[in-house]
Amino acid sequence: MKKRIKTPERIRRRAIVFLALAGILVVISLIAPLICPNDPYATSAADMNRAPCAQFPFGTDRYGRCVCSRVLMGARTSIFSAVALVGLTFLAGSVLGLLAGWYGGVVDTLIMRLADVMLAFPQMVLAIAVAGILGGGMGNAMLAMGISGWTLYARLARAQVLSLKEEPYVHAARLSGCSGWTIMIKSLLPNMLGPLLVTAATQIGVMMIGIAGLSFLGIGVIEPQAEWGSMINTSRAYLQLAPWAVLAPAVATIITVMIFNYLGDCVRDVLEAKEAET
Amino acid sequence: MIVLEGKSLAKRYEQQSTVIHALRGVDFRLESGEILGVAGESGSGKSTLLKLISGLEAPSAGSILLHGKELSPRRTKEEYRTMQMIFQNAPASFHPRRTIADSITESVRSLRGRNAPLDLASLADRVGLQRELMDRTPRQLSGGQCQRMAIARAMAVEPEILLCDEITSALDVSSQAQILHLLAGICRESHTSAIFVSHDLAVIRCLCDRVMIMRDGALVEEGPAAQVIRQPREAYTKKLVDSVLEIKN
Repeated sequence: MKKRIKTPERIRRRAIVFLALAGILVVISLIAPLICPNDPYATSAADMNRAPCAQFPFGTDRYGRCVCSRVLMGARTSIFSAVALVGLTFLAGSVLGLLAGWYGGVVDTLIMRLADVMLAFPQMVLAIAVAGILGGGMGNAMLAMGISGWTLYARLARAQVLSLKEEPYVHAARLSGCSGWTIMIKSLLPNMLGPLLVTAATQIGVMMIGIAGLSFLGIGVIEPQAEWGSMINTSRAYLQLAPWAVLAPAVATIITVMIFNYLGDCVRDVLEAKEAET
Repeated sequence: MIVLEGKSLAKRYEQQSTVIHALRGVDFRLESGEILGVAGESGSGKSTLLKLISGLEAPSAGSILLHGKELSPRRTKEEYRTMQMIFQNAPASFHPRRTIADSITESVRSLRGRNAPLDLASLADRVGLQRELMDRTPRQLSGGQCQRMAIARAMAVEPEILLCDEITSALDVSSQAQILHLLAGICRESHTSAIFVSHDLAVIRCLCDRVMIMRDGALVEEGPAAQVIRQPREAYTKKLVDSVLEIKN
């Protein structure tokens, strides 16, 4: 099969398409309450496990709730929790990695050994343990995922700093009498952001699956709050009777994760192309 | 008058079980207005010596005296201002995303205060470039132009000593000559002292008043540049001079 060459124009076009798709998802999650065809929390014994129809486009679940409305409201929970979690871990990890790389010595040892401890446990197992101890709820699920999520950015940021701090322009900044903070903010941060942003973009999908996984296990969001993982969990017992109640949130998860993963790839390609141009 | 002095300077790098002695008790002195050349093969300790003098690294032993006063590893802004370094890779010595003007302005403001006067146009003129070029990023300039900008940045803070680390080695012959001519002129006009590290003895003979020959982190020979290169006392210096002449012949 003939392989397509990634020209800068093609990379740019692809990035615009996936950015637009991710934008549409974010807008949908923002205006979810306005576009829901029904009340996502209203139960009805008469409408239990109804197949997709004009009134309920994706059918209803075992409590007679509109699956379409819950998928739309779930987008808000799933997308925003994943984006917020990635944002927080990105910020914490980048700052800690920056400090570890720049100051070295005790600061580096403390931060990186803490990261090693966190990485010694599989992320999901640690998250289940933390969520199990702290109890359910979106806040605790995010904390459970974030407690080890920062290590990825910390290690990457540290490696970037260790490489950049030997660059002549950083030496020149030191000889210009700039303080450590000034050098970190003005010289290091702008030049190490690229790889960190690429990682963050690809982590949105990972975090989304992680939070959905915790909710599926019953230690994420608390019912009746709409969230895709918990929706799948609630309806899986009725998979043969009402498959739409599982399929709709599952397909929504797959599509959203795919879009954010492709967006991450596009961010990487765009930055690489930009680097090659200069 | 001695401006800068180094006494028994040593630098060790420890990597797991191995210890690398980059400098082994080097003594030097720099007179006011003098250009001191430092020559030697790769790994002889020339660049390490400059790193210690500039304050980028702390010596493992020995001391550096500026106007007779010992410098501590934590330099003051005034001490940084007094000694300015010009790097081998000039384009890489400027922030890749900022304009040359921004980099120069930041250096001046940091070392001479926020209200320090700065005339970028006359600075550009002094190094033989147009002011407009300062509004470009380093990637938009040639190696020679960047090296001139690096000299401009160093001179903008009115240093007493210039530390030049192989500043012509990455340039073509024509640009090398221009940069050397420019540096000699600036040092002469402003009575600035300089330490000029290079492996090119021909360049050192043209530019420097005195020369230090280094090998394996130790000082081999020292004296007036023309004399040391014409009539070397040490066998190693003779070998170094001969190897250059062999290539030239």
